[in-house]
Amino acid sequence: MAIPNKVMTGFSASLFMQSGATPTPLTTANLSVWTAQVAGIVGTVANGTGVTGVAVNVEAVPAFGQDDAMANFTIAGSRQSDKIPTQSAPTSLTITAPWNPADASLLLIRGDAYSGVVDRTFVIAAVDGVNTVAYAFNGRVSQFQIDSQPSAEAKCVFTIHPRGNQYGWSNNT
Amino acid sequence: MTLKAAIKTLSTTYQSLDLVAQGCVVDAAEVDAALKAAEPDSVDVVCLQVLAKYNPYVPKPKVTEK
Repeated sequence: MAIPNKVMTGFSASLFMQSGATPTPLTTANLSVWTAQVAGIVGTVANGTGVTGVAVNVEAVPAFGQDDAMANFTIAGSRQSDKIPTQSAPTSLTITAPWNPADASLLLIRGDAYSGVVDRTFVIAAVDGVNTVAYAFNGRVSQFQIDSQPSAEAKCVFTIHPRGNQYGWSNNT
Repeated sequence: MTLKAAIKTLSTTYQSLDLVAQGCVVDAAEVDAALKAAEPDSVDVVCLQVLAKYNPYVPKPKVTEK
């Protein structure tokens, strides 16, 4: 499916995730399929919620992608050394959210972190008008912390570690 | 490997599609034809695109008789 031919100036991103307690994450190929796959999590309406997904209220969506991984080689006699990309790791997403013990998505995330072995599909959705560009990936949650200092509203911080190679892009138009 | 089996393998794996597709040797012409007929935004297209990457279809050049 063609990518929308439009530059999203300063787009805002939102985070969605599968809503089941024991979800079956999308397969690698299905992470790139919008219809009936990613759309089921994000919803067919921009910023909606799909039948198998739920929105996660987060302060901000952090950077995602891959971490730098390269080897630096010294070459005798050459002014410059050489940098060769090597196997890279997916970027972990450390996310802050307002802590609400009644929030269904945060309770699922807390449960995932307690387990440590729950694979779940997450979707970062960039929305422009009624159109959505989605980055879907499978990941596990860890490092779930609740910070309830009296000087500020209670918040929770958790880290999503994406599984290697399990990501895909899709869009609704 | 049949194309159907390759698509099934690719559509159900959680491994890297590139890595798995490299091990799927299929008929390039069949992949090309299936890709043209496949519905956009389907899992078949995703699988066929990665199969086509490692099984490129090169049409036979037309030979003109003198």
